[in-house]
Amino acid sequence: MNKAPLGADLIIPALALCFAAYFFFSIVDLAWEAKANGVLIGTVLIVLIAIQAVRVGMELAAGRGDLSLATLVAPRDALGKRLGMVLLTVIFIAAMPWLGLTLSLFLGLAAALYLMGVRRRTQLFWVPFSVAASAYSLFIALLNSDLPHGPVENAVTALAALL
Amino acid sequence: MTWDFLLGQFATQFGLWWVIWPAILLGIVVGVLPGFSPQNTLIMLLPLTLAVPVEQALAFMIALYCANHLAGGIPAILVKIPGSGGAAATTLDGYPMTQKGQAQQALVLCFTASVFGGLITTLATLALLPWLSQIGLVLRSVEMVVVMLFGLTLIAVIAAKDFLKGLIAGFFGLLIGVIGTDHIYNTPRATFGFLELYDGVPLVPALIGLFAISEALVMLEEKLIVGKEGQAKAVSAQWAGIIDGLRLSVKYWWQIIWTAFVGLFIGIVPGAGASIAAFVAYQQSRLWSKHPELYGTGIPEGVIAPEAANNGVTSGTLVPTLALGVPGGSTAAVMMIVLQYHGLVMGPRLFATNPEVAYGVFVSMAVAYIFMIFTILPLARYMSRIVLIETTYLAPIIILVTIVAAFVERQYLFDMGLALVFGVIGYIAHKTNYHVTAILIGIILGPLFEQYLVRALRISQGDITILFSSTLGNTLWALLVLSLLLPLWRTWQQKKALAAEQFGEER
Repeated sequence: MNKAPLGADLIIPALALCFAAYFFFSIVDLAWEAKANGVLIGTVLIVLIAIQAVRVGMELAAGRGDLSLATLVAPRDALGKRLGMVLLTVIFIAAMPWLGLTLSLFLGLAAALYLMGVRRRTQLFWVPFSVAASAYSLFIALLNSDLPHGPVENAVTALAALL
Repeated sequence: MTWDFLLGQFATQFGLWWVIWPAILLGIVVGVLPGFSPQNTLIMLLPLTLAVPVEQALAFMIALYCANHLAGGIPAILVKIPGSGGAAATTLDGYPMTQKGQAQQALVLCFTASVFGGLITTLATLALLPWLSQIGLVLRSVEMVVVMLFGLTLIAVIAAKDFLKGLIAGFFGLLIGVIGTDHIYNTPRATFGFLELYDGVPLVPALIGLFAISEALVMLEEKLIVGKEGQAKAVSAQWAGIIDGLRLSVKYWWQIIWTAFVGLFIGIVPGAGASIAAFVAYQQSRLWSKHPELYGTGIPEGVIAPEAANNGVTSGTLVPTLALGVPGGSTAAVMMIVLQYHGLVMGPRLFATNPEVAYGVFVSMAVAYIFMIFTILPLARYMSRIVLIETTYLAPIIILVTIVAAFVERQYLFDMGLALVFGVIGYIAHKTNYHVTAILIGIILGPLFEQYLVRALRISQGDITILFSSTLGNTLWALLVLSLLLPLWRTWQQKKALAAEQFGEER
């Protein structure tokens, strides 16, 4: 008999429980107005989590499930791409203050497409180029937003000043 | 206000087509991107709106505002990524319609519900402005607590498939919504030491993470986001799809009208907004439907209700701004700044001193909606083909571009990281059937619910009976109880009918 992978079902309750515990810890010394709503919500949440834990426990005891995380990692062939994409996004966010919006978007997207399995050089160049150019046109040139400026933005500004 | 005056106003606004059209196009482009709310787009464009005459500035701002509200539904339908909080409820039925190969119809329903919902409520506002302006005064914190509860009951509806998981997701969202300083003493709660969380969890990174990033990570499992039938329909998308969408819009004309009025009434209350209006309208639409069990499977009513309400809000938020001088929302506040810069003081006197501006706002809105339907409707056929882009390209573009959009609202790099955190939480929730929409409803409505509840309790010095102290509030309580009991009664009736049927067959 195939057992249901119930381990993954406990991740959200576990996260919620940790957060509720931290929440209660952070409001201990506050006035009742500041904590009334949170205490009410947090208490109900903990009760619900307890019921879910009992439900999972009963399934495990009956031998109908196990604590594997199969639901979360399936399908296996996409797992590498997913983890790679999350890691790449972290690098993208960290690098943006130095590289600026346009260059970080171009490089980030090129790397992401490569990670996804795109190997044609024209696509690896033109797709990131068109997205980065569109982002520059909309966010920087048209809307003048405060997104980080880097070498590309500074070069374009300097060039515009010269003209 | 005479007919001559009104017709003159319409003629003037139609003459400003060269201002309205670019504003509509810009509103649609930025509205599609989560993170670009109309208010921050208008703030960025302040140098432009402050430099031009007030009539042109007003027409530009109004058109952009309305187009932005409409456009949020486009990515919600096509890729399950709402462009704004107001479009989050649209994903519930819009995306399933896309998966069934009905993207074109869903888009047309979104456009017609938005445009006609917005247009009807704008005209109603023009006619009933003096009376509507009183609603903001009648709906106080006591009544708003019940209105919030109407929205929160949607968590239970969404949780129908797995009630316990849905409730855990909803309450988790509500607790996340409590992060930040409290409304009375401004003391921080559960901020993890981050100053960026003192104002609470920002909606845009939460929205981007829970919907865009998590959905993009899930998307990687398939080559395309639609099945073979959906692909075939998208490839052969013809004008017939648009005509079918229009037919459905005509069929559900009453649905468009009444849900738009839900949006209008909620929009009038300062501080309430499109997100609440859309969720409440969806919940009410499901409640009074003849087939509530079909909601969430991709039905036209599920797209119409949130979209009509979402745009019904646009005229509603401007009522307290113009009639009372109290901005009904952040976009209205930006508009107020622009008008004040031009020497116009908001409030009841505006209708006597500058009627062309006071009424012109709503006329401008009506004209913008008329222009909008002709601009966007033909695009539905081409937009629906987005589903044919391979996820290999679509997913990375969605993740990186929406992460950038997370920065825009508050200009913090922190918000980009927060969006990624919510993305991972959303992915886990998605894969384990903890509904992300339930988490989002909690995050959106939680802080507002607390704000109104604490305000009411503060007024009563902690006496909870204040929640039952007004006639209107008690009527709303009764309707809330009725809305909770009605589905139970229906289920009981269905079971009874089924049992009788089976008994008849056995005999």
